[in-house]
Amino acid sequence: MKAIWYRCTALLLLCALSIAASPAWAQSQEFPVSIRTLKNGMKVLVQPDHSIPNVALYIFYRIGSRNERPGTTGLSHFFEHMMFNGAKKYGPGELDKVMEANGGSNNAYTTQNVTVYQDWFPRSALSLIYDIESDRIRDLTFDPKKIASEREVVASERRLSVDNDNFGLLDEQLWANAFIAHPYQWPVVGWMSDIEHWTMDDLKHHFEMGYSPSNATMVVVGDISPEDIFQLCEKFIEPIPSHAPPPPVTTLEPEQLGERRLVVHKPAELPLLLIGYHIPQTNNPDFYALNILRSVLFQGESSRMYQRLVDKDQIALDVSSFVQPAFDPTLAIVTAQPRQAVDPQTCEKAIYEELERVKGAPISDQELEKAKNARLVEFYREMRTISGRANTIGTYEVFMGDYNKLFDAAKNYSAVTKDDVQRVAKKYFGSNNRTVATLLPENEGKAKQ
Amino acid sequence: MTRKRNSVRLLALAGFLLLVCPAALPQSLHLPPHEKVVLKNGLTVLLMEKRGVPLIDMFAIVKTGAAADPAGEAGLASATAGLLRKGTKTRAAQQFAADFDYIGGSFDASAGADFSNISAEFLTKDLDRGLELFSDAILHPTFPQSETDKILAQSLDGVKSAKDDPQSVLGLYYAGYLYGTHSYGRPSDGDELSLKRIQRDAIVKFYEVNYAPGNTILGIAGEFDAAEMRKKLEATLGAWPARTVAITSVPAAPPVKGKRLLLIDKPDATQTYFAIGNIGTAVNDPDRVPIRVVNTIFGGRFTSELNEALRVESGYSYGAGSFFDSHKAPGPFEINSFTKNETTTPAIDLALQVLEKLHKNGVTEEQLKSAKSYIKGQYPPTIETSSQLVRRIVFNEFYGLGDDEVNQLEARVDAVTPAIARQIIEKHFPLDSLVFVLIGKASAIGPAVKKYADKMDQRLISDPGFWPPQTGAPK
Repeated sequence: MKAIWYRCTALLLLCALSIAASPAWAQSQEFPVSIRTLKNGMKVLVQPDHSIPNVALYIFYRIGSRNERPGTTGLSHFFEHMMFNGAKKYGPGELDKVMEANGGSNNAYTTQNVTVYQDWFPRSALSLIYDIESDRIRDLTFDPKKIASEREVVASERRLSVDNDNFGLLDEQLWANAFIAHPYQWPVVGWMSDIEHWTMDDLKHHFEMGYSPSNATMVVVGDISPEDIFQLCEKFIEPIPSHAPPPPVTTLEPEQLGERRLVVHKPAELPLLLIGYHIPQTNNPDFYALNILRSVLFQGESSRMYQRLVDKDQIALDVSSFVQPAFDPTLAIVTAQPRQAVDPQTCEKAIYEELERVKGAPISDQELEKAKNARLVEFYREMRTISGRANTIGTYEVFMGDYNKLFDAAKNYSAVTKDDVQRVAKKYFGSNNRTVATLLPENEGKAKQ
Repeated sequence: MTRKRNSVRLLALAGFLLLVCPAALPQSLHLPPHEKVVLKNGLTVLLMEKRGVPLIDMFAIVKTGAAADPAGEAGLASATAGLLRKGTKTRAAQQFAADFDYIGGSFDASAGADFSNISAEFLTKDLDRGLELFSDAILHPTFPQSETDKILAQSLDGVKSAKDDPQSVLGLYYAGYLYGTHSYGRPSDGDELSLKRIQRDAIVKFYEVNYAPGNTILGIAGEFDAAEMRKKLEATLGAWPARTVAITSVPAAPPVKGKRLLLIDKPDATQTYFAIGNIGTAVNDPDRVPIRVVNTIFGGRFTSELNEALRVESGYSYGAGSFFDSHKAPGPFEINSFTKNETTTPAIDLALQVLEKLHKNGVTEEQLKSAKSYIKGQYPPTIETSSQLVRRIVFNEFYGLGDDEVNQLEARVDAVTPAIARQIIEKHFPLDSLVFVLIGKASAIGPAVKKYADKMDQRLISDPGFWPPQTGAPK
């Protein structure tokens, strides 16, 4: 959104780790990643690229809303905001001021699984950035005045992205109904009443739980050398002591044994439809076949769902699917924006028919090839900027357990067969495994009977 | 060049740069070399070879956009662009989609106020197919009636869908209220009423009148050989028949005098979205760089004065900022933010105080130094990819800015002094004459926000159109 300086997109949709076939370019000598694990346990991945005089530095902490509990939902995201609000050396407001005055900018995002801090800066600011990052990892402070005002900022963010946003609202309801046991049931931004009630102690506890250097992975891409980075890490990061990581999340979502449905009534111009299907976590071998299936169904104007709902039946304005990287079994979500005066159930019926069709007969060779080509172009798009590369390397490292899986993606995608695609369609896209969320307009003066 | 180069391809590129500017000292900010060719039919072509990623980006602008839409038919240029891929002499819409998707490519076409644009991206190995499809859409669209009906109906629902997200339509109400009947006040994608008036004949005519090689600038950037590309272009887009096109002239809209306020009622809103400002500047305004420096300080970054006040210090909002949305003729200047219903007037009061403070105090040497570093430090990632670069060179050509827009940016930024900033504030940042547009719950905020203006208008968000209200709407 131009000219508004957002930080912390709580509901950021890391649309499907896009991985692709035949990255000959990526496998060549031009893509060297140097690795070091610091004595305190933080792993550092470095990839030099001198095409612009800038650097992208990402720190992935393995903590997100799945590590929270009822009563303090949204705490990871709130904490992310507090990481910009003052430490020992750089006090409240100083981090941003100093960084921008030296040509840098920053942001961060929190998901159900991770909290990620991002710095983009000219090479000249490299050592300053390390000073800033080490200051807040080691010596974060909590100013009661800043906690009070930042609480309001997060409440405003929630109003923006959930309460006054039909998609955000329905998405929140969908997760809350699709999960009855696992922490994916609550929103990353937190319930409003929890936002209003977090305490200073909650924040301190969260810092102790999630912010051990050993719980983080740093990725640096840009106009630097690995030697520079490792030296800076030795000086600034390595002395920070490690402590215990967050306790493991042991709750497993029980198998869903029947369709769940929910309706939201609210003033709106158009209805909205979201359908969630339980699928495995990102590092499951079915990941690749699921991505190919979703491409065949949803990617591009020649995809099956677009052709059926948008083009032929003309019952939807758009239809799409997304999956976030996840440590635990998660959801594949199908979204349709029904056209004016179209009952969302008409869209539902068409979606189910297309799903039955893909279960009933193998996709064509051409569709399989097309899906693989689309993934390849996506791969290049993400990898062509220093920022995209830092995010992709980090995402693979954290969610697949090894950034080298990037280079296996080619092999893994080309191994996907038409039978695999049909098998995962049957396995995951059944009626018992779905939660259906519908938003129905309820307008002033013509409210429901 | 002092930076380390770790691959042959980068060394080659560095050598190329030195050839182009042999006398220049190493610069951190410089457009990669590119060439301009005008084909026999008048098509202007800009080519930039950029090695490293096997992708090709094409970006063409037809120098006629939504500003040429007839009054009452807003959305015509946009529908014309959208239909380019929806049927050609040799391909049905579905075939076009299948052919482009098969190579993993992307194709988009749309219209803004000043121009229509068509873009495509595909792998270098698919150049022939990609170029052929791109040319087919531009040269041979047939505008089938069924596809025309479909795209107009979809656009209409798109407007309704957008109105469910107040932030996405705030700028449209703001432009309408600020510009009135001036062409920059019209929504380029149309509204619920104008889209019903557009007929296929008007679309065909818009295409025939405006889509011509002499009225088009095509940029191509990415991994290809320029000499080979020129030959391929002669064989494809070179076949586009030449035609004379009248230039759309857009008069400069005069700034609004006094204070006016439009309140768009969204009865279920728990947050008020607001825009404040007046007519701003044209893209080629000689003051554009110092304006950028001053606006960076005022509302153009996270530590800007607006965001500091409305977010960091008060917690009124998740974000606040300001920008100049420059066009060929003066575009809008806008301050914007949002806040919960209860803090609507405190937040707007504060935004106005920040504006007054800018006029009263100007900017300090220290603020200038910081803003200059910020602009220079953040610029390189905006010209990192072939997709970004191709747009940059095409815009430089269209707006008559030249390569210096990038190559001299650092020097121009550095030249701004507090005294210059003071003049810029006086000249370009409005103070006494302001337009306010608010989307929010009228019953909660209406009485309190009257104080901002001499004149207040109000509409429901569900009322068709944006602003001004239209009469004689078809049922």
